[in-house]
Amino acid sequence: MTWLNSHPLTFLVFAPTLLGLLLMLLPQTLGRLARMLGFMGALAFFALSLSWLLGHTGSPIVERAPWFTLVGLPVDYALAVDGLNFWLVILTTFLVPLTMLGTWDSLKDRIGTFAGLFLLLETGMLGALMAQDLFFFYLFWEAMLIPMYFMIGVWGGDERRYAANKFFLYTLGGSLLWLVALLYLANKAGGFNPALMGQAASALPFGVQCWLFVAFAVAFAIKVPLFPLHTWLPDAHVQAPTAGSVILAGVLLKLGGYGFLRFAIPMFPSAAMHYAKPIAILSVIAIVYGALVAMVQRDIKKLVAYSSVSHMGFVMLGLASFTVIGTQGAILQMLNHGISTGALFLLVGMIYDRAHTRQIADFGGVAVKMPVFTGFFLVVTLSSIGLPLTNGFVGEFWILNGTFLSGFPWGRLYACLATSGVLLGAVYMLWMFKRVFWGPENKDEHSGTHHLHSDLNAREVAVLLPLVVLIIWMGIHPKTFVAISEAPVTALLAEAKAPAVRTFVLKPAVHEPAAHEAPAGHEAAHEAHAAQPAAHEVH
Amino acid sequence: MSLTPSQWAALLPLIFPALGACLIPLMALDKDQATSKAIRGVMYGTALLAVGASFWYLTDLWTTGAQPSFYQLRMDRLAQFTGIFVGVAAAMTILQSWDHFHQEGWVKGETLSLLLFSVTGMMLFASTTNFVTLFLGLELFSLPLYAMVGTVRARSESAEGGMKYFLTGAVASSCFLMGGVLIYGLSGTFELSAAALTLQHNGLALDPLVLAGAALLLLGFLFKVSAVPFHQWTPDAYEASPHPIAGFMSVATKGVAIIALMRVFPGSFAPLGAVGVKMQSVLALLALATLVVGNLTALVQTNVKRMLAYSSISHAGYLLLGFVAGTPAAYNGMLYYLVIYLAMNMGAFGLLTAFGLVGEKTTFDDLRGLGWKRPAMGICAAIFMLSLAGIPPFGGFYGKYMIFKELVGTGHVGMAIVGVIASLVSAYYYLRFLVALFLQSPSAEAERLASDRPLVHAPLAGATVLVAALIVLAGGFLQTFLADGFTRRALVDGLGLLR
Repeated sequence: MTWLNSHPLTFLVFAPTLLGLLLMLLPQTLGRLARMLGFMGALAFFALSLSWLLGHTGSPIVERAPWFTLVGLPVDYALAVDGLNFWLVILTTFLVPLTMLGTWDSLKDRIGTFAGLFLLLETGMLGALMAQDLFFFYLFWEAMLIPMYFMIGVWGGDERRYAANKFFLYTLGGSLLWLVALLYLANKAGGFNPALMGQAASALPFGVQCWLFVAFAVAFAIKVPLFPLHTWLPDAHVQAPTAGSVILAGVLLKLGGYGFLRFAIPMFPSAAMHYAKPIAILSVIAIVYGALVAMVQRDIKKLVAYSSVSHMGFVMLGLASFTVIGTQGAILQMLNHGISTGALFLLVGMIYDRAHTRQIADFGGVAVKMPVFTGFFLVVTLSSIGLPLTNGFVGEFWILNGTFLSGFPWGRLYACLATSGVLLGAVYMLWMFKRVFWGPENKDEHSGTHHLHSDLNAREVAVLLPLVVLIIWMGIHPKTFVAISEAPVTALLAEAKAPAVRTFVLKPAVHEPAAHEAPAGHEAAHEAHAAQPAAHEVH
Repeated sequence: MSLTPSQWAALLPLIFPALGACLIPLMALDKDQATSKAIRGVMYGTALLAVGASFWYLTDLWTTGAQPSFYQLRMDRLAQFTGIFVGVAAAMTILQSWDHFHQEGWVKGETLSLLLFSVTGMMLFASTTNFVTLFLGLELFSLPLYAMVGTVRARSESAEGGMKYFLTGAVASSCFLMGGVLIYGLSGTFELSAAALTLQHNGLALDPLVLAGAALLLLGFLFKVSAVPFHQWTPDAYEASPHPIAGFMSVATKGVAIIALMRVFPGSFAPLGAVGVKMQSVLALLALATLVVGNLTALVQTNVKRMLAYSSISHAGYLLLGFVAGTPAAYNGMLYYLVIYLAMNMGAFGLLTAFGLVGEKTTFDDLRGLGWKRPAMGICAAIFMLSLAGIPPFGGFYGKYMIFKELVGTGHVGMAIVGVIASLVSAYYYLRFLVALFLQSPSAEAERLASDRPLVHAPLAGATVLVAALIVLAGGFLQTFLADGFTRRALVDGLGLLR
């Protein structure tokens, strides 16, 4: 037990792998047992992560030890949970058992192997979220692809092989170029410690810093995915089995945004500021384009996939604003997206398991047949749209607020453009909702919707209920989820030398004098008063 | 002539396989060698014993740290490393060929004998810098290989591949000989390091004849490494030869040629700095060409063995990148890469035997669905392919990592970028192997045929595959142990690099 007390993170990261390998060793005939063991294990990991991490909200938990030195570069075994990744870690441990339960009967063959791969994936995700050494991070980042590749490729839809290969190669391509940048910087810094590498980077000429930042940014942007690097996502999302889609949307995409927050921005602050505008432009394009493409989809799953592009665009816009409120909004939006898009994929999976179709045109009048399902779908839809009192509203509002007040000359215009994305989000979600749930029932025998005779069972309600509770909780009291990240985000932006005004919105008393010094800051200060209610929400 | 114990110590690792090679044909005289399990057992046992004795003796030398020599034959740490490397490859080949030749229905003792001669030649080749000895080693390991490629005489493709390999190989050998002759003619000594000093002393470092000689020597090595543009023999030879032999060729020939090249060019020719610089730029160009041609051609192959052949060409490209970086750490990375490459490729070819694919039936379609039928082999296949593609946490990643790190550190960022793009391309065709194994189900026709055939029984090949997979995993998780304890010491004590 003493070992466990001093190495909780090691246990959290690697215990799923041990269990997963064990499950894969079980014979195929024991698949049902393996699935049950996997679920119980994942649930236990969630409970442990909650009890360990919630007890440590004050100070970060760190495990750091030298690991090995190869060709002169030391690599640390470094894991940490702090304000930036605290809730993402919990989101991951939460979504894994939930998804397992939610897709309990979706797969028919090789369920034991699937559960095993799922747990290996959990190790990859948790490791990447916690790693504080870039080499260590890279290992998890790449290793994560392997279980996901097989999950899509073996259990996916008709185009699964294409989708799996595309997903794998796309992500690998970005990270291999990133590896070259990493090696370049590691040679300069003499190691893979992010702090040391950041220092070494700041000593380099600005042009080199920009190249390095671009290499980092492309690797992370593929994962986010940021327009125009998003093309793998619709294929992977649509072809993946439900569980794969939920985890892809819920956690894997977050790792891209998290990578910016943890590594790319703190290590190359000035280059990041330099590229704020291009990133913001691409984010706005992603928001609007993703929403427009989602609107014309005929397949519900594909619609949700494109809505992910749009929502993750908000995350990137928030990060590009370089304001505390925008960044906090981005962090919250990542959690929001994990919850609500994860829930949407689960819901789509549930209706697909019954009707064996996902075409919007095949449905109609589902509300009459499946009232409980409709109720859950409605709440999640509204959260995805960003209705006040749901989580989506808070995140998007903060991001737009931060962008508007960012002090960048383009900030206001882009905030306005991005707002249209919220509007379009309402259009495509509600339109889809109308066609699927209201209206006359589709009587066509071939549509498959006549199979929709059973509403949600207790298991499915048990899966969706926590998600709906979280959606409301995050909408009413977001402070629970962002309080812990405020200090690290403020410090990060201070180190990034974001002009003082950009931190103004959250801390009026501290920064007001500074705001008066700069004329641009003064202007923004006026705007900030309009945003006071939002600012108070945070405190 | 009486030999001192130290001279015996240098010779013994070569004598064991040579002795085995001489004994086996006597047993193969028996007509029943194909049918009698006892005779086969004795032949294979002798071969394993010969390789094993050599291996044992070398590990013993390694642990004592002795570096004996017998005239031009220097059994230093690097040579011991080579001996261990070749010995492991040969042992795996012997075990795999027990199953494979049984499946093919073609059991001939002389194959084993040739293999052992080849092993002897390889050890000789990598443990000398004297040109005559070097050439002797080259021919001693090449000639048996030509015969081994065409060993299954019943198949005409096999003979064709062997002939092609022999003809091109003979040209490369004569070029190598010509290069040596030019160097000898200008310097008056066969000892390459002494020759380099003499040439430098006489101001002949940039003499066109010296350059031509060095280039011809390089050609000889690059042919064995199967670098572009001397690679055309590779796919045909691999396709023609039995799987274990193809695996042995891809691993041992390449490895020994790389190590010998390391001894000669950065090693012996160090005094001729100008030649070294020129050769390095040639190598840089050829490494890029090798990466591009090897990977792009591998993409369009439908035959697994041809794919593996082009993949081995592209791996020659990664290895040559180490010469471009040219730092001791990069050489260390190359040796590390070779160790992992040995496991990955012997494992990949062993899989073909373990899956019972014989003759021409080695297309991707023949692999369909086998990963689920044979889960242990399937997992090993995943490990090999992902490692070949350089995905962490497997050993292949660390090999590439070490080489690329030095490449970036010496300012060759552009080449490193080409290298990583090449490995991205390679990921596609390695994934195809896994797609066939796991993501596709066998066609109805194949299912029907499979139910007619007897179950594949290849325990020895399966065992070598498992061992190879363990080595690849060890490369991924015990990397420092391997790199510092094994490859680095071979360089430090062998070449005197990395002080």
